[in-house]
Amino acid sequence: MSMLNRRGFVKLSGAAALVGLSAATVSRKGFAAAKGHVVVIGGGYGGAIAAKYIRMADPGIDVTLIEKNEFYYSGPLSNWVIAGFRDIEVQKWGYEGLKKHGVKMVHEEATGIDPAAKTVTTKSGAKIKYDRLIVSPGVDFKPVEGYDAEASEKMPHAWSAAGPQTVTLTKQLMAMRDGDPFVMVAPPDPYRCPPGPYERASLVAHYLMKNKPKSKVIILDPKDKFSKMGLFTGGWTKLYGYGTDKSLIEWIPGGEGGKVARVDAKTMTVHTEMAEFKSSCINIIPPQKAGAIAEMAKLTDESGWCPVHFETFESKIHKDIHVIGDSSVASPMPKSGYAANSEAKVAAAAIVALLNGQKPGEPSYVNTCYSLLSPTSGISVAAVYKLVEGKIKEVGGGLSAGDAPDFVRAQEAVYNESWYQSIMADTFS
Amino acid sequence: MHRKKIHMLVLVGGFVAGGLLSGSTASAAEAGATAAMLANTCAGCHGTNGISGGPAMPTIGGLPANYLKTVMEQFKDGSRPSTIMGRLAKGYSDEENALLADAFSKFKWESAQSHPNSKKATAIDPALAAKGAELQASAKCDKCHEDGGVFQDDDTPRVGGQWLDYLLFKMQDLKNAALKVPQPKKMETAIEKLSLEDLTAIAHFYASKK
Repeated sequence: MSMLNRRGFVKLSGAAALVGLSAATVSRKGFAAAKGHVVVIGGGYGGAIAAKYIRMADPGIDVTLIEKNEFYYSGPLSNWVIAGFRDIEVQKWGYEGLKKHGVKMVHEEATGIDPAAKTVTTKSGAKIKYDRLIVSPGVDFKPVEGYDAEASEKMPHAWSAAGPQTVTLTKQLMAMRDGDPFVMVAPPDPYRCPPGPYERASLVAHYLMKNKPKSKVIILDPKDKFSKMGLFTGGWTKLYGYGTDKSLIEWIPGGEGGKVARVDAKTMTVHTEMAEFKSSCINIIPPQKAGAIAEMAKLTDESGWCPVHFETFESKIHKDIHVIGDSSVASPMPKSGYAANSEAKVAAAAIVALLNGQKPGEPSYVNTCYSLLSPTSGISVAAVYKLVEGKIKEVGGGLSAGDAPDFVRAQEAVYNESWYQSIMADTFS
Repeated sequence: MHRKKIHMLVLVGGFVAGGLLSGSTASAAEAGATAAMLANTCAGCHGTNGISGGPAMPTIGGLPANYLKTVMEQFKDGSRPSTIMGRLAKGYSDEENALLADAFSKFKWESAQSHPNSKKATAIDPALAAKGAELQASAKCDKCHEDGGVFQDDDTPRVGGQWLDYLLFKMQDLKNAALKVPQPKKMETAIEKLSLEDLTAIAHFYASKK
């Protein structure tokens, strides 16, 4: 007690009174009395994990997950589908497992958040009250001239939600005439899944090599460098003739005319500042920002993303609202599925502590992210992070070795599938 | 499980009643991340509570703490070859590695064959498993890896019931002299006498255990 100042004491006695009350209720009624209600918006790599881990740590907390879709299609490993060696059904997950943890599912779109009244409004007009809210809506797209919802059916992004978009792009690639290019427009930083476009290029090149040897992948990129760049270009050189005039992959960086000015879905053309690219198979991955609901609730700052406190992932803008996953700014952690999983667990532990009247403990974060160069060659980036003076800091980690032997690349390809099986079981069962 | 929850609630109540809440949590924060916080970050690859979804990521929930701690130290100092763990282990202090090892040792082991994903994983070949049973007996693997590798103690990890693809990778690594996988002298001698084919059969035998 001597450690507490007067103010701390007042706060503490308040908390003690509250928790004391609920403890008394618990002793009378067993586990029936809820310590609070946590609402989660978004049932993906971040939100589903947060819901599950709160229930696992403290079944005395009620959790409601608002997710508009009945099924979730994983973005990670969906590039395998596009390249024709994985069924889209393997990417599909339901919410029965979360229900077994006592998570209440609401399959509706969240349309509004009132941070003062502490309510979430859904499309049907229902208002759901929360003690703490977790917002995990993933990403939304910034405009690209000529690219609207209709255009995205012809020039699929296959990015923000795997599923129908993934299938559309897969079909286009399969139907593409041998000799046509697979044109991909890569996004500027920051965006969801930094190595994703380059893994996609690798696997499409692998498909072309086997099926459409006169075709190649053209990447139009606003950037001059990208995630795992040395490992990708090293793999492309070895596997796809990168750097030669027979290369199956041509990467045009921003400095060499890779910036796209506009697209035209009617003529299936991408216009850069200097040239135009036509094909029957065009993949536009637009620039990104936080999910629509985060922007609507003004959880975003001028960057378009959500600033948060890293020990709890509580918004720096609105109290009692936590933003996790791609929508949050958690640099140097990337906007990856594993990072969302890890951020969700930090937020879940903090919320459990706070709803029990305790101070959140020290966080620990991990990212582990695999990519394929070909179906039998994998690479990875991994890191452990700590909170140091209020900032997330990498304390260990790194990339696969550039000169790793083939058997290591082959093992990492199998570990990639294992990563998926374990993280999906962690998320949905 | 039921009893544990009651215990937790009583504990929370006790702290509050004693007015110790703030004091106790302040010292917890100073002590660093809790074992649960640290262990939960591994579940993305090793599965919830260390029970892997396979086919190649090993289940580590329920393995002996001393073995897990030793392995993490070897990953960290580079003496144990790995694809990714050598990079990740560098992010943890010795104390954190000990906490992680302790946390995972307390989870309940679940054999790969009882996991729903076992149907999608590399199939166990019963003929190979039978051959492996004989080979591991004649090579005296069962002196340490007793009961078909189901046994474990401080220095011996359970291998019976592990994921097949993981065991196959580890067998390949053991036969790759350049990797210098740390192992007890008597195991090194036994491995030397076995071919990769033999070790493949033994992997099928261990993986078949429930």
